[in-house]
Amino acid sequence: MIIITEEKNNYSYVIEVNNLTKIYEKIKAVNNVSFKIKQREIFGFLGPNGAGKTTTIKAILGLITINSGDIKINGLGILKDGKNVKKNIGYLPEKVAFYDNLTALQNLNFYAEMKNASRNQCKTLIDEFGLSEWTNKKVGKFSKGMIQRLGMARAILGNPSVLILDEPSGGLDPRGVVLIRDKIREMRDKGVTIFVSSHILSEIQEVCDRVGIIDKGVLVAKDSVSALSGKLDLKPKISIELEKITDKVVKSVREIKGVEKVDVKDRIMDVSCEPKTKSKVIIAIEKAGGNIINLKTKEPSLEEVFMRYTEESK
Amino acid sequence: MNLNPMFIIAKKEIMDNIRNKWIIILSIIFFLLTLVVSYFGSLYSEGWQDLGITISGMMNLVQFLVPIIALILGYAAIIGEIERGSMSALLSQPTSRLEIVLGKFIGLGSIISITIIMGFGIAGIIIALNVANTNFLDYLIFIASTILLGLVFLCLAIFFSTLFNKRSTAMGGAILLWFLFNMILPIIFTGLLAMSVGLQGLIEGTIPEWYHYLTLINPLSIYGNLNSIALNLSFGGQANFTYPSIFSGGLMAGLLLLWIVIFLLLSIWRFNKKDI
Repeated sequence: MIIITEEKNNYSYVIEVNNLTKIYEKIKAVNNVSFKIKQREIFGFLGPNGAGKTTTIKAILGLITINSGDIKINGLGILKDGKNVKKNIGYLPEKVAFYDNLTALQNLNFYAEMKNASRNQCKTLIDEFGLSEWTNKKVGKFSKGMIQRLGMARAILGNPSVLILDEPSGGLDPRGVVLIRDKIREMRDKGVTIFVSSHILSEIQEVCDRVGIIDKGVLVAKDSVSALSGKLDLKPKISIELEKITDKVVKSVREIKGVEKVDVKDRIMDVSCEPKTKSKVIIAIEKAGGNIINLKTKEPSLEEVFMRYTEESK
Repeated sequence: MNLNPMFIIAKKEIMDNIRNKWIIILSIIFFLLTLVVSYFGSLYSEGWQDLGITISGMMNLVQFLVPIIALILGYAAIIGEIERGSMSALLSQPTSRLEIVLGKFIGLGSIISITIIMGFGIAGIIIALNVANTNFLDYLIFIASTILLGLVFLCLAIFFSTLFNKRSTAMGGAILLWFLFNMILPIIFTGLLAMSVGLQGLIEGTIPEWYHYLTLINPLSIYGNLNSIALNLSFGGQANFTYPSIFSGGLMAGLLLLWIVIFLLLSIWRFNKKDI
């Protein structure tokens, strides 16, 4: 049983979701979910397919009716004051779509007008997202990756104070992924609060300050990755490359008190242990005749955290 | 300039239909039909007919054509955007569902109005140049009532677009609606009338008062009544009957407006409840 510790309210929160519940045909897609995100924070929202990520996002934006709960952005209720709230939100949907019969520029111009943003920003953003050559081409001819980039440009249009990104890397090539990741960081540095949902855990781990893990509609964890791995008592791993791994070396490491797990693959030995045991492992290897070539410490990955939390909720 | 989102959406709809040439195509259709009906439409005389006879000849065509055009323009207005995925982006903008429905209505309604005014208007001018004693006021009433009819069916189409969860179902519903008002209801009404007055009564054109009230559930009948009353038209001898005293051109126009308002409100109500 995982106990979620509530955040201490020492900050002014930009996004507040309280006891959100959404039921689709007797199934609780989102069940009593609560979280708060403070200014300039990048909050990663994780969960398996069908866990309730997109439903939560849609509820935050007022795209769906909710059965119970309260959602506030910048202190304003999305249901009561939706129009004003949305002036400060940039949104990248999971399924990015534009008007196919319009060009990239015409599309962005339309949204700029809706947001009362400068038209000059449209061209700048198109250039920033590497779509300069496609400015006056109809979006119907764009690849999925190009549409994703244009979608990100649309989200940033009008300089919103809150960005809500649903699977921002979907359909992007590695260069596009880096571009979007850099843009997310750049926006955070400008003071933007970012809520990002993704199933690419490495991406989330790289950019997010905190994460929330949702499974079967229930928010099973929320905190920084290191704090969550601490709660799960996940140990850092030492990855040791040796000239040759002998049974004697492996046995000597396994016998050390505090060593939890030893995995051997080719000339690499992965040892899960307490940080204070690290030096004992090195000494034991050398005593057993092992010749260390390289040594790296790996913190518990978000993948491990995610797997543990979603496993335990089953 | 800071425009209300409703007008930005309306402007986009108009621009889309200018780009895909719908406005030009529909205007040409209306224009040619009017000229053809005016020049070839009379059994009693050759050449150009005056605007009154042209209107009489146009009535049936308009009742077939304008509803189907309005239904085609409107059935995908909301569900089309939802299915394509662009509605979630549109709703994430600082706008409300009310503004989106009204924006779509104003935009598409403008398309219908522009095409009717251009098509019928230019044709009317050409006819007027070729005949004597032109009654422009009657022709303007005909154009205005046709626009109202188009807007009624546009609202019905937008309502269907909010009612159904699939574009194809909305299209099916729109086609069914066209058949209902153009074929099914008139057949039912005629059947009821025949049962009431008998075949002889039907041939003699005997129409009881209740029948006139019954036909008010069909906007096409209201449109027919409006033009018949306001323009004092004769449709193949049907002018023998008299309308109930309460019936007037104003009342019929008001009823068409009521259809528009009711179905706009229903569309807004339904769209507000819809999960995207």
